[in-house]
Amino acid sequence: MGAGLHNVIIGSGSAGFGAAMTLRASDPNCRITMITMDSLPFYHRYDLPQVFRGKQDWRDLLDVPPSHYDEMGIKLRRNSCVVDVDGAKQLITLAHQENVAYDRLLVCAGGRSYVPENLTGYAGLMHGFGSFEAAMRVYRDLPKGGTAIMIGGDMIGIDLALTLLEMGYKVALITTPQTFWPHEVSADEQSHLLRALEAKGMKVYEHSRPVGVARNARRKAATCVTLEDGTEVKGNVVMSFCGLASSVEFMLGADVDIERGILVNPELRTSNDTIWAAGDVCQIWHDREKAYKFYHGWQNVRVMGELAARNMSGTHEIFDVDVENRIGVDKQGEISSTFWIH
Amino acid sequence: MMARTGTDIQIAICGSAGDGTIASGDIMKRAAALMGFNVIAFDVYPPEIRGFGKCISRIRISSTQAYSLKHESDILVSLNDAHAIPHVGEVRDFGAVLYDDHLVSSVPEGGHISAHIKPAQIPYGFSIRQISELATNSARSRNIVILGYMAGLFNLPREPFREIIRDKFAKKAQSVIDDNIKAFDAGVHEGQAVFKLDDVEVKRESGDDSNGSEAVMMTGNGAVVRGFMEAGIQSYFGYPITPATSIMERLAVEMPPQGGKFLQTEDEISAIAAAVGAGYTGSRAATATSGPGLALMAEMLGLGVMAEVPLVVVVSQRGGPSTGLPTKTEQSDLNLAVFGGSGDAQRIVLAPTNVEGCYRCAGMAFEIAETYQVPVILLIDLYLSNRYETVFPAEGNAFSPKPRKPLKPAKGKPYKRFELTESSVSPRALPGDAGLMHTVTGLEHNELGRPNDAIHMDMSIKRHEKLKPAVHFPGLTVSKRFGDEGPVRVGILGWGSSFGEILETMYQAQAEGIRCSAMKVVMLSPLPMESLKAFYDDCDEVLVPELNYEGQFAGLVSGALGRPVTRLNRATGTPMVVREILEEVRRLAEGEPSPLRSGNARGARS
Repeated sequence: MGAGLHNVIIGSGSAGFGAAMTLRASDPNCRITMITMDSLPFYHRYDLPQVFRGKQDWRDLLDVPPSHYDEMGIKLRRNSCVVDVDGAKQLITLAHQENVAYDRLLVCAGGRSYVPENLTGYAGLMHGFGSFEAAMRVYRDLPKGGTAIMIGGDMIGIDLALTLLEMGYKVALITTPQTFWPHEVSADEQSHLLRALEAKGMKVYEHSRPVGVARNARRKAATCVTLEDGTEVKGNVVMSFCGLASSVEFMLGADVDIERGILVNPELRTSNDTIWAAGDVCQIWHDREKAYKFYHGWQNVRVMGELAARNMSGTHEIFDVDVENRIGVDKQGEISSTFWIH
Repeated sequence: MMARTGTDIQIAICGSAGDGTIASGDIMKRAAALMGFNVIAFDVYPPEIRGFGKCISRIRISSTQAYSLKHESDILVSLNDAHAIPHVGEVRDFGAVLYDDHLVSSVPEGGHISAHIKPAQIPYGFSIRQISELATNSARSRNIVILGYMAGLFNLPREPFREIIRDKFAKKAQSVIDDNIKAFDAGVHEGQAVFKLDDVEVKRESGDDSNGSEAVMMTGNGAVVRGFMEAGIQSYFGYPITPATSIMERLAVEMPPQGGKFLQTEDEISAIAAAVGAGYTGSRAATATSGPGLALMAEMLGLGVMAEVPLVVVVSQRGGPSTGLPTKTEQSDLNLAVFGGSGDAQRIVLAPTNVEGCYRCAGMAFEIAETYQVPVILLIDLYLSNRYETVFPAEGNAFSPKPRKPLKPAKGKPYKRFELTESSVSPRALPGDAGLMHTVTGLEHNELGRPNDAIHMDMSIKRHEKLKPAVHFPGLTVSKRFGDEGPVRVGILGWGSSFGEILETMYQAQAEGIRCSAMKVVMLSPLPMESLKAFYDDCDEVLVPELNYEGQFAGLVSGALGRPVTRLNRATGTPMVVREILEEVRRLAEGEPSPLRSGNARGARS
């Protein structure tokens, strides 16, 4: 292993991990380097609410043991931030000023948590939940029986909220247009879902948008959200769950087309012949709709990563597996979502 | 089996000469000692006096007694990636690697340490340089920032660090102290903000291991100095040589205020000649050198034996022969120390196995030399000379010289300086003692000291016989057995600095269910035959690990006992490795023949 072409994968989530394994399966001799800002090897982000169920050792969350990367001949570079991709020179620059050359590049950088524009100034005060460390910080700062304030409430957030309620915490949900993202729900459906959440003990604020976030003088993080109508929602931690915004800033010099995400054809190839993209970071051309579309959800993302890897190895497969995503409430009042099927 | 509970971590700080690597390691170990931990530390630095060579400070911090450095570190700190990268593999799984993630110039792929961190190791990248610059307007305090970061990350008490920093820079301007404290605090702030992902734990759980006295951090060389000073050393003559130089440097500071005579001579021959002369006059005299220096001293050492002059020669071994490996450790001067020189020149050779042993052997060496009227060699090595450990000094004046009973001339009888007595030790007068004028010469002599070769056999017997009781010298540990009592499958016999690794190995072997004992031999000449024989009788197999190519100690003991041993020789300039000894112990325990490997004589059976 390691004597062939150098395949670099930016990102180590579902798409990146699946791509790395697929690349290795298709080419035992190529070099594979995964570059990620994460501190840990791959784990499923959807498992993060498990920290409230006692899984506080990150090793329990890993998909494969760390030694698996060595066994597969995959170099995993963590805590490494890509600041620039030179598509012409096929050169990646990392924040610590190391240059990494590639033959083929797959971008699976995913997205960062989106914060509504009027609240971006408060982002530093809010807790995140996008990594194990962030999840553990929430766990650490949320006292037993304490209240988590959730702005938005995308499907990752709702999953966490249900776990918190089950474990004896309180949750205050302040709705935004991104509530239940990436599901697209009608007003009636939303109301039905919110009632189901209230029935489980969640406090829902749905008629006034959040306009401010404040922290207690003794705390570093936010504990209060002010709504437009003057209502103050108080708790112990404040989190924004308003979907994802694609991480594409480092690709601006890569000679690829970018809209909200990196634009790729159905083979997941960008406008640069040596660069592919997969997962939440890319928008895929949909021929019937004549538009570039995001395909969220871990199942789509994983399929994309593996497909892109096969195409990097020479095939020409087309992404046409758009999993139909559904959300609903059953007779027992339990909410179900295809995004939660792991 | 000794259960190691509580804290037992090893930190490796790696940088370039000039990065402050050794200084930060020094602060870390002293702070850890101040926190009440047991500390073993060893610094490795380049042979060049100045330049950009690699420096590594390794510090093992434990809440129970540790005996050696560990092969794997729990934490690696990089102050220079080019130097630290080869050591990433020494960090255990789920241990931490700390490094600067903001370089000032670009590097090619693989030039940054993050490229080499394994998936099971935890990377902690942070802006070491920037933090230093923001806190102090200079990047010079990077080595202090990393200490603060560790204190923050591992939740260590801050004040011991600040206290040691204030002490370390006490002779500098106040602004230097202030800047370093600021750099430390900035590092703490950064480290506290990081979510800890490694499983390195630092907490004090065990009871007090002390003997009631206050623990002191010192190196082997520092311990020798302290032992000498407490024993009332009066004369020191030396010529600098790595790794013994710091003994001379320290004595140069400490002796004159106490009324001692200190002289740096023009070479090693002069140094020992002066020491022999001073010893002859009754002064507690010593010199210190390394293997090449001892080779030069051999002739004068013989004079000391022949003239029955007490003196102490410290020999800190390094890699040889010739200039060899001046900054690397080795145990290859045993033969020179025990046998070196012309004729049958038996002397006493003590080889302490740890820093506390250096202190105690140095403290007792003069008394032993005076008791048996013979040169005493204190045989240590670079690993022991430069190794830091927490030591519990003796209480009171344990090593103070006993008042000398003046010798009175016997009426009508000539004074016989070399009288053949029952103990073979002759009454010793000093030059100037009234009525006890005598002759001392390097020529073979009669009881009066006058040249006479007819008595050579009797005098040879005397010079050897008088040393035999030394193995029972009160208060001196000449050998000690550890581990399982009675018959055992494998016995490990060791000496000097590598005994720490031997002891760690023995405990690990016991944990694996192997009946195992270890025995340290401190007195290499004369050998403690009684305890050696008893040890051999109990062992199915005897393994002798040592840091030389030839197996000098193995040859010494197997020759003395006429019994075979399995040798494990390592001549790499680096300390013994527990894992390697354990492999041999397992092999011997299983009854497998130990393979004879070409090149390093491993497994050779003598």
